[in-house]
Amino acid sequence: MTASSSPPTGGLLGLSDDALTSCVFCGLCLAHCPTYRVTGDERRSPRGRIALMRAADAGTTVRDAEWHESMDTCLLCLGCQVACPSAVPFNELMHDTRAAVAGVRGVPLWLRLGFAVLVRPRLLRGTSRVLALLQRLRLIPGRFPLPRRLPLRDARSRGRTVGDVVLFTGCVMDAWQPEVHAAVEEVLEACGTTVRRSGDAAGCCGAMHSHAGLEDAARSLAERVMAAIPADVPVLVDSAGCGAALRDYGSLLGTPEAAAFSDRVRDVHEWLAADIERMPAATVGERSTVVVQDPCHLRHAQGKHASVRSVLAPYAETVELDDDGLCCGAGGAFSVLQPGLSAAVRSRKTASIRRAMATTDAVVVVSANPGCAIHLATAGHVVRHPLEVVAERIRGTQEDAHGR
Amino acid sequence: MGVSRLEDFREEVGPSGPVCVRGGGTRWLVGGPPDGDSRQVRAPSGIVAFDPAEMTVEVGAGTPLAELSGALAEHRQEAALDGPPGSTVGGVLAVGRSSLRRIRVGSVGDALLQANCVGADGSLFTAGGPTVKNVSGYDLCRLLVGSLGTLALLGQVILRTWPSPERMLWMQGSATPEAVRLLCYRPSSVLWDGRQVSVCLEGYAQDVEVEAAALASNFGFVEVATGPVLPPHRSRWTGRLPEGGLLEVGTSVVHGPVEEPAPEPGPGVAAIVARLRSGFDREGRLNPGRDPYRVAA
Amino acid sequence: MPSDGSVVISTTRMNRILEVDVERRIAWVEPGVINLELTRHLAGTGLHFAPDPSSQSACTIGGNVGTNAGGPHCLLYGVTSVHVAAVEVVLPDGDVVVLGEEEGDAVGYDLRGAFVGGEGTLGIATRIAVRLTPDPPDVRTMLLDFMTIEEAADTVSAVIAAGMVPSALELMDQQVVQAVEPFANAGYSLDAAAVLIVELDGLPAGVAQEAEAVELLALQNGARSVRVAADEEERARIWKGRKAAFGAIATIKPAYYLHDTVIPRTRLAEVISGVNAIAERHGLIGMNVFHAGDGNLHPLLVFDDREPGIMDHVYAAGEEIVRLSLEVGGVLSGEHGIGLEKRRFMPLLFSPEDLAAQRLLRDAFDPEGVSNPDKVLPDGPSCGEIQDLPEVPEGTWV
Repeated sequence: MTASSSPPTGGLLGLSDDALTSCVFCGLCLAHCPTYRVTGDERRSPRGRIALMRAADAGTTVRDAEWHESMDTCLLCLGCQVACPSAVPFNELMHDTRAAVAGVRGVPLWLRLGFAVLVRPRLLRGTSRVLALLQRLRLIPGRFPLPRRLPLRDARSRGRTVGDVVLFTGCVMDAWQPEVHAAVEEVLEACGTTVRRSGDAAGCCGAMHSHAGLEDAARSLAERVMAAIPADVPVLVDSAGCGAALRDYGSLLGTPEAAAFSDRVRDVHEWLAADIERMPAATVGERSTVVVQDPCHLRHAQGKHASVRSVLAPYAETVELDDDGLCCGAGGAFSVLQPGLSAAVRSRKTASIRRAMATTDAVVVVSANPGCAIHLATAGHVVRHPLEVVAERIRGTQEDAHGR
Repeated sequence: MGVSRLEDFREEVGPSGPVCVRGGGTRWLVGGPPDGDSRQVRAPSGIVAFDPAEMTVEVGAGTPLAELSGALAEHRQEAALDGPPGSTVGGVLAVGRSSLRRIRVGSVGDALLQANCVGADGSLFTAGGPTVKNVSGYDLCRLLVGSLGTLALLGQVILRTWPSPERMLWMQGSATPEAVRLLCYRPSSVLWDGRQVSVCLEGYAQDVEVEAAALASNFGFVEVATGPVLPPHRSRWTGRLPEGGLLEVGTSVVHGPVEEPAPEPGPGVAAIVARLRSGFDREGRLNPGRDPYRVAA
Repeated sequence: MPSDGSVVISTTRMNRILEVDVERRIAWVEPGVINLELTRHLAGTGLHFAPDPSSQSACTIGGNVGTNAGGPHCLLYGVTSVHVAAVEVVLPDGDVVVLGEEEGDAVGYDLRGAFVGGEGTLGIATRIAVRLTPDPPDVRTMLLDFMTIEEAADTVSAVIAAGMVPSALELMDQQVVQAVEPFANAGYSLDAAAVLIVELDGLPAGVAQEAEAVELLALQNGARSVRVAADEEERARIWKGRKAAFGAIATIKPAYYLHDTVIPRTRLAEVISGVNAIAERHGLIGMNVFHAGDGNLHPLLVFDDREPGIMDHVYAAGEEIVRLSLEVGGVLSGEHGIGLEKRRFMPLLFSPEDLAAQRLLRDAFDPEGVSNPDKVLPDGPSCGEIQDLPEVPEGTWV
């Protein structure tokens, strides 16, 4: 039996020959691909997608609607990349494919408009307030991928102008889930760390643009983020998706400055777990049990999911899911772009959550990524950020300790 | 022995006329007696090759089981074949009844690796292969086991062997069969007569003794010299143990004093069976009168 | 790979676990259930599904039935056929039948046994009753390393000859180890010529006794070190590396041709040397990772298929490996089956009469020859005559 990789001849998509030929089609990725798991369709699997990329690059297949659908339905969860014994750079292949396709096919206007809102913080907050109002008036169906209760007013704290660390606040999260940043800030300050927020000047990380193949936009957003953040302090991120994007600036921009910036980026749990002794003892509330959902961009892209457990350990019991870290289906804009597939992928996750809850007294899911949190909440789960759970158990301590 | 004896057997069977193969005659009536006018033949007997390091043995199908067991025992090995005193290797395979100890040694179908057979047209053919693992082509060996010699006649076979246990003992007492199965790890045999459970424990001496002690202390089991005497007829568990019956727990085989009717195969299976029989033996000359579908289990 | 004009019927989405009966140790599953998913589903019951092909995280139970799949632990527990009690089959004429019985022996011919490993030529499995095996109370996983591959092979032969049947006995050569260790972090020695994974399971005293015996035999045969996995996590890493080995080959070259033959377990060392010599003669990299305990070789011919003319060497070397395996008394396939690829070798192992008998079995299930045509049996039964090289399908089994 051969496992072979025919060489691309024309290079029509401009993909790396080495990357394309590094797949031997062994299929060990299949079980880790959420879209393959729900469709059973080879064209919705990493192996099938690589075969189609290879064929398109070599010009042996037509890039028809079905071909595009195969690429568009990838969540970029990177479960396959982690499972691959030959280290096929799937992330690079899919990004390059989408960039090549976006250059030819273009990106729909409505999607471009959506992305344009993300990079304009005041417009985003304005839009969010309108959505919040509509939500209160029950004019938005509950299945729409929005937080349960969007904030009506701008509840962001202005914070410090200098700090030991910078907390990257991003776009949607800052507008929609200000309480998470507040909780993270509370925990960090309770550990004796002063926090400066990246705020509107840094704005959006550009992850969604990059996923959609809008590489130029992603690069200019990366430049803006780097320019807005001082060059000498750790950059902490409480959104796994943004964290993975910031960590990728080095390869996105290809400059030594960007590489140095990426080196300074830490997931906030990773940063806290590195010196767990700093964290104050729990003094408030009961030790509860929470189900841990690993965002793909923490587990597969950054490999830092163990930190969430370390950080939670002093404050709560954690329950693991039995689905081997399979994606929840949120995938940034994926839940809007591919609602049916996204919900199908999510139903596997919710089934796993239900199994975890059936054998324990857990009622809360913790997720370190806003996209996953909103996506799972839309399916009826109570979802919190891990550091919200921590913040609740130390509230009051820090006022004594740090006089805030 | 080997090739020449096999060739003699082939010539004896010949290309025409009804023939039946006689082994030890210990299960001569299973599946119906052979037609009276068929010519009786005997398969070659004797051990052709035994390679203890390979854990396979090649024997003539007419070899008495006792002779095989004796040769294997010299190297502390055994095969998954079991039968009444006087049984032959070919007879046990053709009847296809697995050992009571099948949880340890596997089913009789798992034991047959390769068979040199004489077909109805009088030609020799080989099913399977000599190695312990093999998926080269179709699994004819499994089809031949339990076929009562109606598809082809076994001449010479290669069997898989296993290390013999260091210690074996039977325990008996009152408990539910399930409780016994939960307490012991893969006992070789668990038999239930409706009141009492008999358990066969095999393996390394210390492990067997620990499990025996656990059965004694938990359920008051005592060691007995042998397993229970099996009633002569077999049928399938239907949810109720017949009077005087004995259930093989985990296999659903019931040993009972009364012969039970065999279930009829459905039309789809019957069509496959008809094609097999007409394909392998168009004239029905091999062991006429015997029918595997007349056996209740 | 379907032959021309065939309709492909995929059972991938028939992926429900229908019923698990813990007391009777039987589960009914649909064919699209992934092997590892069933074992995961059984967690906490004290039972598992024993066949564990290296591809178990991706392969389906329907596929396992079709090929009569093996895996490392079939050394002790037996291949898929041993663990399939009954199969609901859609026959090629559309009839639906159940072959086999949930427990015990079936009445009449063992059509279930004939069906398993039929490579889809005898019908399509739509529901499968699998037997479940109790989890062993004690497991010991040993990692042995050797400075020559022959010493490792001799150790395998010695363990079997000593009357032990470990639950798994796997060999990996140095190139395989070097390819997979960065991914698996299993702690394999990168400078050893070969490593052996020996797993013993069962009741504690027997496991301890056998572990001691294996260690002694290994040291007598030249083992450099013997490591025993300290916990479940270390054991999982040792197995992760073994099961991902084929997938890691692209770190060396972009293509491989995986063979699957079985040879007598007493002749491992000489055949491995022979296989490596064949690869070298054809300018290919020969790598070995296989189920040593039952003599099931998986020689890998590793190459860059962008090199002009390389495929001729790959096919020629492949044929030489098959012939070498048969010469020492081996067979064509241990667990991957015949399919299209090895059809042409069937006359090397079987006489025209042998093949005719196999044909009768197939025709009994599929008299019209519509189910997976052209697979398994060669077209002409001409003895020893090799047919034209067929197109070798892309894709792989692990």
